[in-house]
Amino acid sequence: MLSRSAERLYWLARYLERTENTARLVSATMNLIYDLPYGVEVSWNNLLTIYGVEEAFYQRFKNPSEQNIIRFLIAEPSNSSSLLSSLLAARENIRTSRELMPDEAWEQVNEMYLYATNNLENLSSRRGRVVFLQEIMRGCQRFTGFMAGAMSRNDSYRFICLGRNIERADMTTRIMDFGTVLLAENRSQTMREHESMLWINVLKSLSALLMYRKQVRQRIKGQDVLDFLLKNPDFSGAVAHCVQEISGCINKLPNSTALLPQLDTLEQNLLTVNIAETTPLQLRQILDTLQADFNTLHQRIAETWFLNHLSA
Amino acid sequence: MTTDSIWKNYQADRAFDEMLTAQSQPRPICETLSDYLQTLGVDAIKGRRSAADAAILEMGITFTVYNEKGNIDRAWPFDIIPRLIEFQEWKRIEAGLKQRLKALNCFINDIYNEQAIIKDGLIPADLIESSGNFRKECVGINPKFGTWANICGSDLVRGGDGVVYVLEDNLRVPSGVSYMIENRVITKRVFPELLQNLNVMPVDAYPSQLFEMLSSLSSNDNPQIAVLTPGIYNSAYFEHAFLAQQMGVELVEGGDLIVNDDDCVYMRTIRGLEKVDVIYRRIDDLFLDPEVFHKDSMLGVKGLMRAWKAGNVALANAPGAGVADDKVVYAYVPQMIRYYLNEEPILPNVPTYLCSDDEQRAYVLAHLSELVVKPANESGGYGMLIGTQATQKELKQFRKLIQTNPRNYIAQPTLALSTCPTLCNDKIEPRHIDLRPFILQGENSFVTAGGLTRVALRKGSLVVNSSQGGGSKDTWIINMEQ
Repeated sequence: MLSRSAERLYWLARYLERTENTARLVSATMNLIYDLPYGVEVSWNNLLTIYGVEEAFYQRFKNPSEQNIIRFLIAEPSNSSSLLSSLLAARENIRTSRELMPDEAWEQVNEMYLYATNNLENLSSRRGRVVFLQEIMRGCQRFTGFMAGAMSRNDSYRFICLGRNIERADMTTRIMDFGTVLLAENRSQTMREHESMLWINVLKSLSALLMYRKQVRQRIKGQDVLDFLLKNPDFSGAVAHCVQEISGCINKLPNSTALLPQLDTLEQNLLTVNIAETTPLQLRQILDTLQADFNTLHQRIAETWFLNHLSA
Repeated sequence: MTTDSIWKNYQADRAFDEMLTAQSQPRPICETLSDYLQTLGVDAIKGRRSAADAAILEMGITFTVYNEKGNIDRAWPFDIIPRLIEFQEWKRIEAGLKQRLKALNCFINDIYNEQAIIKDGLIPADLIESSGNFRKECVGINPKFGTWANICGSDLVRGGDGVVYVLEDNLRVPSGVSYMIENRVITKRVFPELLQNLNVMPVDAYPSQLFEMLSSLSSNDNPQIAVLTPGIYNSAYFEHAFLAQQMGVELVEGGDLIVNDDDCVYMRTIRGLEKVDVIYRRIDDLFLDPEVFHKDSMLGVKGLMRAWKAGNVALANAPGAGVADDKVVYAYVPQMIRYYLNEEPILPNVPTYLCSDDEQRAYVLAHLSELVVKPANESGGYGMLIGTQATQKELKQFRKLIQTNPRNYIAQPTLALSTCPTLCNDKIEPRHIDLRPFILQGENSFVTAGGLTRVALRKGSLVVNSSQGGGSKDTWIINMEQ
């Protein structure tokens, strides 16, 4: 497999995963905010924090209104992590990798792109937004489902799997980061009253609620949720599970020995975390370290397999 | 109640119409299609066109056009009414195309080796020396089977006399074959009932034949094949990716390849370097190898010519094959067929005046407003003069161009290209068409079943190139006897 192709598939998967995550996160936030009373320290601004795009947002808009933030996160072309930018990048990567996949894979992504660009005006109404985001999530799931059913478990598939899981783990750690706000010592009384609803929505934003309930048969508590999202080996969005998947792919790819130490570090860092004995501040540091670890892993992957890093 | 015939207001001009006879009756092979369109009616036909347009967008069938705003992907312009050709007539055309490519390959091989045809006085030596596509770097090379032009796209037109002529042979990097295949996929979606009831030859064997032909160029039994594209911004990138995907081979850019000290070509993979045996290159000669041609080419591969000359990689088409893709050389193809094959040409050339010949040039200059003038080395319909539609200023400009550089121009009578019914806005009107079949030659020869029918969508226009507002049609070779 060409190094160039490996790189394109990896990014295709990352961008599609990002598209789906953004759609789900915005949906879940909408649900949550419509339920919460005024005065709670959770707002649309939190979404900007999760993506780390506050500065870019205020360069473009003055008022952090629901309307503006949603527009910025979904449709803003100048925001490179907006849903539309991600979808566009995914489409460009699959358009230039068509020789590696059955036609339907390309058509799925292309149809989703056509849908998104033709229906942007629906975003201005709340009702239209719900439908729009649902359609995007479905499109991403159709793609994933098609790939599961039609692709050989070959190197192409492994690079897609790598990209997807690195992006997914990144998103989970970002949402956990947001979760630490909910645990802050100085949180308000209203916030404490709505605590379980908030955690339910954290789980929903990762499609994790049902799987969590099946696993943890107790009243929903912040610490348990964070522990589940970080260390559960079986849930597909949990960081530990993503690392397992990544490790499985890397071990089957050629010339992978240089990556194994970095994988070990990641696994060790994960195992040693004990949420019950961690303060919110410590947790944030742990999550920062994890994100840095994933970043280094990405660098190693690029150096090992991608074109720009190969010497003649 | 009787409804009006859909052909009631259809007025073919003096040109030959592929669907209707001069008496406005459907030709025998078109009867079923005509009845079917009649039953549908224009409104329903327009509905099918919308379905086709949606399918083209969803399938992402595009070509790239360049303008001042950058590169834009445009949806492939497709007219849903197919163009029909009778099977027996097609058999003869197919034989004529194979014959022609065979002779052209004999010619190219001769030019780069013995030059017997020049020594025997059939073609003047200076014609070759002055050709912009003659590559001295290729002298003395002997590609497998003596084939230099492995993939050829010839443009055919039917004149007012009903005769099919060869207008030109594209031997460099002809494109369009992917659209031929995709057009059929769309037609199957749009007119499934019609295809089921008619005996239409399938067109999708081409990628397998291309694969077989490319494999035959290697001495390796299980060769590694790659399609070399200039990259995602090339106007034909869609086709490069399409063919690589259909053949299941790698699609590479110059940066993916490297020629090592052993003069072999390798591609950079996740496993390290892997040897490449056959390259279907979609890059022009001059950009292939910065070591030999354009020094600043970012598209090519340093050392590729070395590897090719050493016989370590097969290139299709071979560098230098374009020497026969020259409108002056074109004029000599009938003689080549007689000279190399000792056969009479099956397909006629369009009469051609060579401006390099004093007598012929005098005729051209005196009849400029009736003729079509073409530069010898351009493709894509660029730099042409259509005398009947030209302004005085353009005529004057071409008169000067011809006198300054006579070798670079040929002239041909203005052909009344045949017409075919085409859905234009709200009604069906005649539009001029041509046909580009694709011919393969390696160990064996193949011809596509039909080819890409190109249509000039503007009323009265004779320019069919997609870069200049042309569209396309599905082409049906119909066998009435089974």
